[in-house]
Amino acid sequence: MADEVIVPGYKRWLESIGDQVAFFLNFFRNIFTGGFEWSEFVRQCYEIGYRSMMLVGITSFIMGVVLILQLRPTLVSFGAASMLPKTLAVSFIREIGPVIIAIICAGKIASSIGAELGSMKVTEQLDAMEVSGANPVQYLVVTRILATTLMVPILSVIGDVIGLFGGFLALNLQDSMSFTLYFTKVVASIDFSDFLPAFVKTIFFGFAIGFVGCYKGFHSNKGTESVGIAANSAVVTASLWIFVIDAIAVQITSLLFYR
Amino acid sequence: MDEVNVNTAQKSKPADREEIVIAIKALKKSFGEKHVLKDINLEVKKGENVVVLGRSGTGKSVAIQCIVGLLKPDGGSLKVFGDEVAEMTDKQLKELRIKIGFLFQSGALYDSMTVRENLEFPLTRVLKLNDQQEIDKRVEEALDSVGLLEAIDKLPSDLSGGMRKRAGLARTIIVNPEIILYDEPTTGLDPITSREISDLILSIQKKYKTSSIIITHDMECARIAADRLLVMDDGVFIAEGTFKGLHQSTNKTVEAFFKDIL
Repeated sequence: MADEVIVPGYKRWLESIGDQVAFFLNFFRNIFTGGFEWSEFVRQCYEIGYRSMMLVGITSFIMGVVLILQLRPTLVSFGAASMLPKTLAVSFIREIGPVIIAIICAGKIASSIGAELGSMKVTEQLDAMEVSGANPVQYLVVTRILATTLMVPILSVIGDVIGLFGGFLALNLQDSMSFTLYFTKVVASIDFSDFLPAFVKTIFFGFAIGFVGCYKGFHSNKGTESVGIAANSAVVTASLWIFVIDAIAVQITSLLFYR
Repeated sequence: MDEVNVNTAQKSKPADREEIVIAIKALKKSFGEKHVLKDINLEVKKGENVVVLGRSGTGKSVAIQCIVGLLKPDGGSLKVFGDEVAEMTDKQLKELRIKIGFLFQSGALYDSMTVRENLEFPLTRVLKLNDQQEIDKRVEEALDSVGLLEAIDKLPSDLSGGMRKRAGLARTIIVNPEIILYDEPTTGLDPITSREISDLILSIQKKYKTSSIIITHDMECARIAADRLLVMDDGVFIAEGTFKGLHQSTNKTVEAFFKDIL
C-alpha cells in the first residue's frame, strides 16, 4: 500500500528531472545552432535588468541601513564601532547582497518569465510559433536565460554599491564619518577573494532564475489556473536553487580561498 | 455525392496519387487509457477543402495536431506530400511546417507584438527575409486580403475576436502555405463575422490554391467552405460526403448536426 503511494511520486520526480535535463540540453544546443536573436536578447536585458533596478536599489539601500543599525549596538559594546564599515562590506559583498538580490530577482523575474511563457502556452502561442517553423526555444528560452545570466550579476554589483551607500547614511545618523573615510575603509576591507566568488555565484543565480522561469512556463498545463501555478512554482523553485547554489559556492570558496 | 461509409469510399475510389497531399491510414492516438483516435483514414487532394464535423472531445483537433507533428501518433500512417511525418528529422519537419499553415481556435497571436510584428515574425524567422520593402509589401498584401489593413499597428489586445482570427489567418497565409489546417475558425464569433470568416476561407482556397482541413461545429461554415465533409465520432470517421449528401443521412449522429438546417 505504501509503495502504491510513493512510487508514482518518485516516478513523477524522476520524469521531472529527465524533462529538466532535456530542456537544458535543448537550450544549450540552441545557443549554438541557428541565428542568435539579438534584438529579443537586448529587449529582455532591458526588461529584466533595467526594470528591476529600482526594486533592487531600494531593497539594497534599506538592507544597508538596517544592517548598520543592527550591527552598531553590538560592535559599540565591544568598542569596535570603527569596524562597522568593514563588517558591513564583507558581509554584504560576500553573502547578503548576492543572495538577497537573487531572491528578489527570483520573485520578480522568474515569476514574470513563468507567467509570460505559461500564458503563451495556454493561448497556444508556443504551438503557433512551433508549427510556423520558428524555434520557440531559440527565440524565447535562449534569450531569457542568457539575459538573466548577464543581468543578475550586474544588478548584484549595483545593489552592493547602493547597499554600502545606505550603510554610510545609516552610520552618519548616530556617528560622524566622512564619505571618503567610509569608502576607504570599505575598499581596504574587501579582498579579491571576497568579491570574485560572490560575483561568480551570481552568474549561477541568474542562470537558475532564467532556467527555472522558462522551464516552468514551458511545462505549464493548459488552463488559466496553470499560469498562476507556473509563476508561483518558478519563484519557489528558483529561490530554493539559489540557496542550494549558495551552499555549494560557500563550500567551494572555503576550500579555495579561506583554508 | 451521397453519404458513404468512409473506408468503403476510400477503397472504391482509386486515388490519384499525384494529387494527394495528405494521406492518413489507420491513425491511432491515445492519452493514457483514453483512446482518442482509433482508426482514422483520410485523403486530402490538392486544392480541396475538407470539413471535419464532430462533437467536442472526439479527437478532431488531435488529428490535425498530428499532421503538423505537434503530437506523435501511436500507430498507423500519416503522410504529407508523400513523406511519413513520424519519420521526419527536425529539419524535415521544419521544412514541412513552412508548407502547412495552422489557424488556431484563438488566433494565437503573439500578444507582446503588434499585428505587423506578428506577420513579420514568420517572414524574418522562418523564411529569413531581410529586405524590409519586401517584408512590408507581403505584410500589407496579407492583411489586405483578410481586410485588416487598418489594424496593422494595433496590439492583439486591441482587436475583437473576429479581427484576431483575421490577423491569425493573415499570419498563416503570409508564407504561402500549400495546406491550411483550420481549428474551429468560427468558434466564439457572431453569425455575421462567422460568415465573413467562412467566405474568407473559401476565397483563400481559390486565390492561393490551398488544400485545407477545417475543423468546425459551424454548419454554415461547412456549407460555405466544404468540398467534402467527414463526420467524426468516438475516434473514427463515421460518414463522408458532400453537404447536400450528408444532409439526407439517416445516421443519428449526422442527423444531429443537420437537424436545424433547412
